[in-house]
Parts: sequence; C-alpha cells; structure tokens
Amino acid sequence: MRQGAAVHGLGWLFWLAPAVLAAALLFGTAVGETRIPLATVFDVLATKTGFLDRAIDPIELSVIWHYRMSRAVVAACGGASLALSGLILQALLRNPLAEPYLLGISAGASTGAVAVTVAGFGAGLLSMSAGAFAGAITAFVLVALLARAAGGGTGMRGAAVIILAGIAGSQMFNALTALIIAQSASAEQARGIMFWLLGNLSGVRWPDIWLVLPMALVGLGITLWHVRALDAFAFGAESAAALGIDVRRTQVVLIGTATLVTAIMVSVAGAIGFVGLVVPHAMRILVGARHSRLVPATALAGAVFLVVSDVVSRIALPGQVLPIGVVTALVGAPAFAFIMVRGRQR
Amino acid sequence: MTDSPVLEAAGVARMAGGRPIVSGIDLGVRAGETLGLIGPNGSGKSTLLNMLAGLVKPSRGEIRLAGRPMARLSRREVARSIAFVAQQAETGERICVRDAVELGRTPWLDALRPWGREDDDAVSAALEAVDMQHMARRDWATLSGGERQRVHIARAHAQKPQLLLLDEPTNHLDIHHQIGILDLIGTLAVTTVIALHDLNHAQRCDRLLVMKHGRCAALGPPHEVLTAPLIREIFAVEAELIPHPSGGRPVFAFQRLA
Amino acid sequence: MLRFTTAFIATFALAPMAFAATSYPLKLTSCGHEVTIEKAPDSVVSVGQSTTEILYMLGLADKVKGTALWINPVLPEFAEVDKTVERLADNAPSFESVVAKKPELVVTAYEWMIGPQGAVGTREMFDDAGIASWIMPTECVGKDNTQSMDGARTKLFDTALLYQGITELAEIFDVSERGEKLVADLRSREESAVRKAKDLNLPEDVSGVFWYSSADIEIDPYVAGLNGVPGWMLSKLGVKNVVTSEEEWPTVGWETIATARPTFIVAAEMNRRRFPADDIAVKREFLTTDPVAKEMEAVRQDRILTIEANAMDPSVRAIFALGKLSNALSGFCLSK
Repeated sequence: MRQGAAVHGLGWLFWLAPAVLAAALLFGTAVGETRIPLATVFDVLATKTGFLDRAIDPIELSVIWHYRMSRAVVAACGGASLALSGLILQALLRNPLAEPYLLGISAGASTGAVAVTVAGFGAGLLSMSAGAFAGAITAFVLVALLARAAGGGTGMRGAAVIILAGIAGSQMFNALTALIIAQSASAEQARGIMFWLLGNLSGVRWPDIWLVLPMALVGLGITLWHVRALDAFAFGAESAAALGIDVRRTQVVLIGTATLVTAIMVSVAGAIGFVGLVVPHAMRILVGARHSRLVPATALAGAVFLVVSDVVSRIALPGQVLPIGVVTALVGAPAFAFIMVRGRQR
Repeated sequence: MTDSPVLEAAGVARMAGGRPIVSGIDLGVRAGETLGLIGPNGSGKSTLLNMLAGLVKPSRGEIRLAGRPMARLSRREVARSIAFVAQQAETGERICVRDAVELGRTPWLDALRPWGREDDDAVSAALEAVDMQHMARRDWATLSGGERQRVHIARAHAQKPQLLLLDEPTNHLDIHHQIGILDLIGTLAVTTVIALHDLNHAQRCDRLLVMKHGRCAALGPPHEVLTAPLIREIFAVEAELIPHPSGGRPVFAFQRLA
Repeated sequence: MLRFTTAFIATFALAPMAFAATSYPLKLTSCGHEVTIEKAPDSVVSVGQSTTEILYMLGLADKVKGTALWINPVLPEFAEVDKTVERLADNAPSFESVVAKKPELVVTAYEWMIGPQGAVGTREMFDDAGIASWIMPTECVGKDNTQSMDGARTKLFDTALLYQGITELAEIFDVSERGEKLVADLRSREESAVRKAKDLNLPEDVSGVFWYSSADIEIDPYVAGLNGVPGWMLSKLGVKNVVTSEEEWPTVGWETIATARPTFIVAAEMNRRRFPADDIAVKREFLTTDPVAKEMEAVRQDRILTIEANAMDPSVRAIFALGKLSNALSGFCLSK
C-alpha cells in the first residue's frame, strides 16, 4: 500500500496534529482537582521556559509544573503507547477484540503488585511498580511459552492459539491475585490495590518521563517502520509471508514492543483499560485502514483520550479522585458498542 | 533448448505428526509452462504448492528457485519472483479494491524505495488485466466471490512475478466465474503452477502432476496422463473422453466404478 | 446514736458496691445484635488492639485467652502482662483459631472483622458456636459501614461512645467499679486537653490534616475525614480539618491538600509495613522532598506531628493523643 510523504487528502492533518496534542497538554495542565486561574498557568509555563520571571505562589507553581504538566505528558505518552499496542495486536492477531492486556499483562501486573504489597515479596525493597512490571513480564513469558507449546504456526490457527493462551494465562494470574488478597489483605490494603489496578496517574512526577517518553517514541518509531508489514497482514499471516514479509520476525518485534510498552505503562500507572481496544477502531472509521495514516492517528488519539480522561477522573467528583480506568471504561464501553453496531450495518 | 527449471523440487517430503503428507517429489517447472497439480482430496497438492511457494519448509529435500536453494533466500527475494494466490483469503479490514491490489507491491518497497510512479503503473496494469479498473474504489465487503478472486489475481499480477502459484482458485466459485478465472489465468504470460480439482479444467495445462497419497503418480502432458486406467486408479471413477459437440476441447464423462 | 452512725457509714461504704454488681443474665444489644451474657466470662478473645488494651486497663488480663490485630506495640505499662497472653495473629485471625481458644466471649472494635462481611466471621457464626460476640459501640452508632470498607461516619465521633463501650465491657465482666474509675480518669484527661487548647487562643483559620498512609508513596494518601476520631480531635481543639469528606479514610489528592494550606500535619506511626508509606520515615521523606508537599507551610515550619496509628481509631489512646496534640499546638507558636 501507499506509504510516504504523499499522505493524500490528509495533508492538513499533518499540521493539525501537533496543535491538537499541545491543546490537550494545555488542558491537562490547566484543569485539575483545584481551581487555578489560567493566567497563573501561563505564568508558570513562561517562567519555567525562561521567558518571564514572575513571582508565583510556590504551591501553585509546583502543582502546575510538577504534578499536572508531568502527568499530562505521561498520560499522552501512555495513551499513545496503549493505543498502538492495541493496534498492533489487532492487526497481527486478526482479531478486533485484541487489546494490550490480552497476553496476560495486566493480570500478571496485578499479581506482581499484590505479591509485593500484600504478601510482602521483596521485603519492602521492591516498590509496587517494580513488582507489577516483573509480574507483567512473567505472565507474558508464560503465555508465550504456552502458545509455543500448543503450536499452531503463524496462520489463523496460530493467532487463535495465542489468544487462548493469553486468556488462560490471565485467568491463572487473576486467580493468584485473588488468592493473595483473600489470604492476607486488610480491607484498606485490598482497597488500595484495587484503586491502583484500575489505573492511577496521581503518582506521576517528572522523573517518570525518562522511562515513559522514550518508550512512547521508540514504540511509535518501530510501529511506523512496520506500517507496510501491518498492511500486508490484511489477508492473514500466510498472505503476508507470500508478500515477502518475514512473519516470525515481524511478530516477535511488534508483539515484543507492544508487550514491553504495555508492561511499562502498567507498572507506572496501573491497568488502564479500553484505550488499546477502542482507539484503534475509532481511528479506522475516521482515517481508514492504511497503517501509514492509522498509526500516527491512533497514537495521537490515544494521547488525547488519556489526557482528557485523567482530567475527568479528577473533576468528576469534587474532592475525590476516580481511578482513571473507570473513566476510560465509562467512555470506552459505549463507544465500543457503537462501533460494533455501526460495523454490522455495513 | 531445455532451460534449467525456474522452480524445482528435489526429493521433497513433508511430515506432519509422524505421517508423510508429501514424499519423494522430484519436479522441475519449466519457464512459461502451465503446470497443473491434480489428485484426490488429501493427496498433498496444497502442501506441495505451499512448499513450492516457500511458505512451508520441506522436512526432507530442497526447493530451488532459479537454481538457488529457497532456504537461503529471504522472504522478500522469494516474493519478488513468486506470487501466491490462496483458495480463499478474506479480510475484515475496510479496504477497497485498489488497496488490496497495492499490497502486491509490498516485496518491491522498503524504506529506501518508497511508493513511486512504477508502483502506480503496476497496479493500474494489474487492474486492467483482470478488467476491474472501473471497480477500483469498491469496498472489499461488497464484492462477490468471483470478483474477490479476480482482485487476488490482480494483486499477484502487481507483484510482477516470474511464477504464479494458485491453490484451487476456483473452488468456491460458480461455473461462470470458474471459467472466467481460468481464462484470465490463461492470458497471463507467466509461468503458472495451479492446483486443480476439476479434470476438465486440468486439460488446459501444458503438463500435469498427478498425486496420490503424497507421491507423484504421473507427470506429463494431459493427453498422456489423463488416461482412463490412470483416472480409474487414482480417482476411483470411470472416465471416458468425449469429443466436444462444437469442436472445443474434448470433455470427460464420469461414472461410478462398476 | 452510735448504731445509727455505724449504719449510716455502712450504707455509704457499701453503696458503691451495690451499684457495681451486675445482674445476670445480662441482655444487651451490641451493634443491632442481641447478646445474652449468662455470667461474668472467664475467657475472652479480643480482636483489635483497642479492645485488648481496654480489657487490660480493666484488670482483666488473666481472662484474655487470645488477641489479634496489632498495629503498634502494646501500651508500655502492659508489656509484661501482654507477654503472657497468646497472640493469635498480627492481622486478622481465622475463625477456627478464635474458636479453638474456647472463649465465652469475643470482642472487637471493627465490624469488618466480626460483622455481616466479617473477615473473622459473622455474628451468626459465633452464635452457632455458642460464643457471644460484642462490638464497640463506636463502630456502629452514627456510622455506615455498608458503602465502603472503612465506613463513613454520619455523625461526628463522640467520646461518649467510647466511655459507653468501656462501661458495657466492665458490666459484662462484673467490674463496673473499675470501669467507672477508668472512664472518670479518661474524662478528666480529655477535659484538660481541651482546656489547654482553649487557653492557647488559636486563630480561627488554623487547620490540620491527618495522614494515615498511602497505597503507594506518591499517589493520593488516606487522610482522615470529618467525623472520625482525628476529625473529633481537631474539632475539640477548635481546629479546622482541610478534608471535607465524611468517609472515615478517604483518598484525597496532594494537590487538594496542599492548596488547602493546612497549618500542621499529623502523620501516623505504626509497626505494620504493608505499604511503604506505613513507615513514618518514608512519610517524612515524602513531605520534605515531594515538589508540591515541601512547599506547604506546615512542612517548611516543621509542623509535622507524629501520632501512633491506633490513636486515630476509637480507643483509649485517642484520649492520650488528644493531650499530645494539644501540647504540640502550644509548641507551634500559633497564638493570636
């Protein structure tokens, strides 16, 4: 399929995209739990970038710069990464229900998190995030091994085997999580875990950028590099092989990227759902199936979606912060239903 | 003037679960010919074809493309020479006819060689060859089975291959489209290996490889291979060749074994 | 005359004893459940540090056959005595382990331990085992435990409930006199702490926040709501709570807390290490290094007070902590 600079008919999108992203980031910085005047926000941005030097209340300065701005950037990177992961899995596994947590990642992350905080693994030296990451990778490795052992090759049957292995792995790790919680957690602990597992960006600070921004850029870069391969999978893996794609290598690189990126995101902010499932489908309706357009559009839409969801999670109930996974689900589930119905009418 | 074969199978066998699906095939496809693979269900036609296309690795033996072992070639190199049309390939993506045909240019594109004029021309030529230029913007989901198969053939055409391999391309099509597709394939000036199930259609080929239980039962021109005794032995039916009423190709009449 | 005087004196000397004796069988309602005590129990299991310490204070240590749910070391004056009592679990004990001690009574301060969704068991389960169960009234009066795990207080906590609990327990064990003494002692401590705070003449806008712990050190902390024990402490001392939720321990973002500019922060100290933030050192480090938290006046002026976690639950320690908080306020030099 066509690829390259001549993005016909959507050239204007190329210029609009950074503006949309900037607007989303501004929104995420300006709106939050407490009301801070927009003028202050601009003052902070101007001061931090060296244009001005205003005296600003230190608490408001820190809130805007250290809390909200960093959180908006991480939300954007995370949203883009999760959406791309979903896109990759949907394309390679030829299944519209595929999403980043299909391969056991969020289930493994939850087990890792409770193992560290509730069962006390790591004797207080491991943070919940580290435990979640380790759990996510472990679950994925086990799922991959299971899929390999069950065979199926690279074709449709292979895709089905991978999905089934993912389901089996997820169920097992979810059961482990329930076991650990039932045995040892106090009410408050279980509540803390649930809150985190539904996704929570409250703990994000600037140092997290060093992890999340490269992850997003590398993930986007790798996916863009493979747009032709992704297109070639339209008629299945065998067809892609017949078109000259190294199917095994493509699957390993792309699924590996999707997994790593998702595991990092889960360890930073918990399991935020629906972004990876719904955003790629929504973008397919808007910009079509060509991955040279779909990939950047999905990344942008994922970024904006998560930034906005985070803001909503903070302002929906006054004085309280909702888990962000609840917001994405409340938006994502009806959206997905709409997409499914619309798809059937064609 | 016997050229070396463009595609060869040397002592090729394929095992699955301990059983031989294909065994001991030695075959050389000659440039420009149309070679048909026929045989009853489960005779290994599909597997052999997949091995010839490089999509499945032989358990024993070697496939050679223009003299070079296929195992040493990259998938891209193979795809630039061989185009493969499966029995039926579906997609859930919302793409149009032109998008599907453009996929055929995949083996020729890479980061250093993005989409260009040549590719546009190849796609347009392919659409013309299958007579679907007027349907270039139609959605895939709205096409009939025959139209879809034509698009797949257009895709293969756009690949500009030396060899075209087709796996029972008319299996699920009605008679009108069956004949249409076979006529179309006949007009393409490219070496063709085609797996067929209809013995009447098989007569169009230059040579036939008859398979039974994964082995080669006969290899040669149709009039030599498709004899009543062979058909009786391989296909377990009585066959009689009847001259065509209006002078076309003779037709087989089949009957149950007595 | 002497006979009259003797009789007069005898009546007054014996009068306290006449009030004190419990008449059995004792019927009472504990958190909506009918409880019948046939006689002063000889054996009791206590799930929760607060009820255990009340039992020790009532001199009933020898009747305690098992304890559970410890968040801090026992009050120092009972350290020796506590050593002789078996600890069934540091967290929630199993139903069997409690029943195995064959107690006549089991007491707790938490409905999420013994109650409709009790982690140890339900009231009915204990009834079936022939064991009477009693819950501190602080847990069920003016509190809705159905919507969340810690529950939400609809009415401001009142020490009267604590005193009622102590009196009830004393009555159950037929040591009402000791109960009265304990209540009187605690009452006077409470009053002196309140008086001290009044004398400080604090400005109207003094506010505070109680930080219990956080699931992960950097995410939203569990802070005390309006109506729980910390909320009660603040209101008794004339201090505003920056948290406005009625939940016992809601999660409120640091942004909201910091912009509310609390005058001082109370951080919980505990032995438990389930969350990294349980550690008081971790809490202090967060407050002094987090880019937003460290800008708070309370942190800059080091108005960070440490109080043990079980003082933030309805227990006798809450009364001691009230005094500590009152003293600390005077040290903060906040007077008008």
